[in-house]
Amino acid sequence: MKKRMAVAGLFWVLGFVFSFSAYAAEPIIIGVPTFLTHVDGKESLNTLQLAVDEINAQGGVKVGAQKRPFKVESLDIRDGAPGVPVPEALLGIEKVILEKKPTALLIGPFRSEALMASLDLIAKYKVPMIGSIAMIPASEEKIKNEPEKYKYIFRNCLNAKYLVVNLMGIMSFFNKEFGFSKVFVMHQDVAWARATAEGMIKNFFEKSGWSVLGQEAYPTGAADFSSGLMKVKSSGAQVILPIFDMASSGVLVKQWKSMKVPALMAGFVSPLAGPGGWKTFDGKIGGAINVNFEVGSAISSKKWPKSVALEEAYKKKYKRALEGGHGEAPTYDAVYILKEAIERAGTLDADAIVKELEKTNYEGVMGRSKFDNGHQAIFGMDPKEAVVAAAFQWTEKGGRVVVFPESIADGKIKLPEGLKSAK
Amino acid sequence: MFIGTLIYALVNSVILILMAMGFNLTFGISGVSNFAYGALYVLSALVTWILLRQAEFPYILSAGLSILFTALVGAVMYRFILMRVRGQALSEVIATFGIGLAILELFRYLGFVGFEYALPVFIDESIVIAGNDVDVQRIVIVIVSAVLLFGLWWFVHHTAIGLAFRGIAQDERTAMTFGIDSDRIAMWSVSIGAGLAAIAATVIMPLGTISVEEGYDVLLNALAVCIIGGLGSSGGVIIAGLVVGFAQRFTDTYIGSHWTMIVSFVAILMVLVIKPSGLYGKQKELEERI
Repeated sequence: MKKRMAVAGLFWVLGFVFSFSAYAAEPIIIGVPTFLTHVDGKESLNTLQLAVDEINAQGGVKVGAQKRPFKVESLDIRDGAPGVPVPEALLGIEKVILEKKPTALLIGPFRSEALMASLDLIAKYKVPMIGSIAMIPASEEKIKNEPEKYKYIFRNCLNAKYLVVNLMGIMSFFNKEFGFSKVFVMHQDVAWARATAEGMIKNFFEKSGWSVLGQEAYPTGAADFSSGLMKVKSSGAQVILPIFDMASSGVLVKQWKSMKVPALMAGFVSPLAGPGGWKTFDGKIGGAINVNFEVGSAISSKKWPKSVALEEAYKKKYKRALEGGHGEAPTYDAVYILKEAIERAGTLDADAIVKELEKTNYEGVMGRSKFDNGHQAIFGMDPKEAVVAAAFQWTEKGGRVVVFPESIADGKIKLPEGLKSAK
Repeated sequence: MFIGTLIYALVNSVILILMAMGFNLTFGISGVSNFAYGALYVLSALVTWILLRQAEFPYILSAGLSILFTALVGAVMYRFILMRVRGQALSEVIATFGIGLAILELFRYLGFVGFEYALPVFIDESIVIAGNDVDVQRIVIVIVSAVLLFGLWWFVHHTAIGLAFRGIAQDERTAMTFGIDSDRIAMWSVSIGAGLAAIAATVIMPLGTISVEEGYDVLLNALAVCIIGGLGSSGGVIIAGLVVGFAQRFTDTYIGSHWTMIVSFVAILMVLVIKPSGLYGKQKELEERI
């Protein structure tokens, strides 16, 4: 009898100790519903995990008197795959929210269409989300018009409006230095790309005296751009503005070279974003200019060491370079932004976290992160004051030189071989 | 621009015909709708990439081994799975679609996502045809397709197994009375169909980068061409490929690029309404059956 009581007592003590330990180590769940089989989604999850591992290695997040680790729960919602309907993506987001009960969502939907559709869902479940891929500015308008309902939604990556600003800077340079004034716009037929194309045409090209010699919209999955490139050739366009994130946009670059189209390619083509592009395109992309949406997302600048640090940390952990040009750096920063917001709030209550997120003033890989009243990170031209994008040019020897904005530029834009200045 | 559009339309048509050839052969001989076709296409491309980039084999050896491997996968797929459900059309579709999904999603799971998965072109040059620069790879696609079409014709007319293929396609039961093993021929047809998908991938994939999504696109294109041309009809596949290929490129040039994707589906709709068995289909139309 005494022996049985002693054993029972021992189990009771052990149970108490372990339950106490489990309570102390209870992780803070970060939900990640996004398109994980696109390079941007996949690498963004990797940079998120990198940040989580760094934070956990330092003891975790201070919530009140306790330190708790982050834990990542991800789900591939396939919203960026051709033919996947938006409601399917919403089911995935809801699944993550209901099953994993995250404190916050990071990265968020890949496609802007899915983001817009998910706003009501996130408002319903009151889960703070810091999106770092979908770019449509319309989500900010919803937040501004109904701040109490949509206050949970933030975005710390580039949006289409800021992409237009960066593209404007590059096009202005072409006009000033080389006298270029004829452009052909080729873009993907998705919301963010359409918004960017329309923004450039209405807000810059038409007002600056440029001639827009054509505009072609390609559905996701299109794999032959010969007609569009023939139109570029016959129209005499000097610059092609491509706006694509789909995998098959690599065909555009290859055809541009093989058809010997005498126009400079300057815009955003996903496969051109990372260092691997040189090998992918057999070294035939010298001179092409790509705007990576955030400094640190597959491009770093020696003038902003934090972007170099992320590049090196990623290579060390994953044994490969960052290749995606959008989402990786903001996701990494978003983890630290969330950490700081939770620590300032001292609680995991969603409304309290949201209040602290609005006060964000964080210097990270992309620059200084602050949110405007539409909960969009403010982009600028100097990383000491705002977060910045980074345009780079491929050299003829396979290197990449950051050329814009000036605050982080490592070199100037050069006209590639075979193209003549119009001046 | 008209001549340029004609040239690229022809290339586009040939690409569609090459994509659909294997699917059509398999259905025409064995009656099996191989919905894993697109997955086999991507499988072959990725196996070539692995052998070329990771094992550092020569390109021609990598491609050859990949084609053989894919054909073997097709044969194994038939022998161990499809043979058990042969004749049950819906079960065949479900089984092959499931296998296709498993292959493609396995590649996704293993992380074959990114732009580094690309095959180099055979000859990195362009030639000028009627004032238009055309890359040599596209010319290679046209030549390979012509050789394959001729090769297939020769195979089914001048080899024992090819004649057995035709016998089974004409009348399976009568062919069996001649001692032709129906299951063995069906296995060969699935295997050769898979091999044709692999050849298509070898010549077409260097035009861009390898992505898992392409498996679904290839299946859709192959289905569209076969349905329009008539399932099981080689002549139908050629005509349908030309119709769809030209329609897509001319739509792209003269109407708008965002309408291109619906061309295939509009063509399928029109064919199903006017002639459900396809342009040269062997299946009887509903009215005839009734």
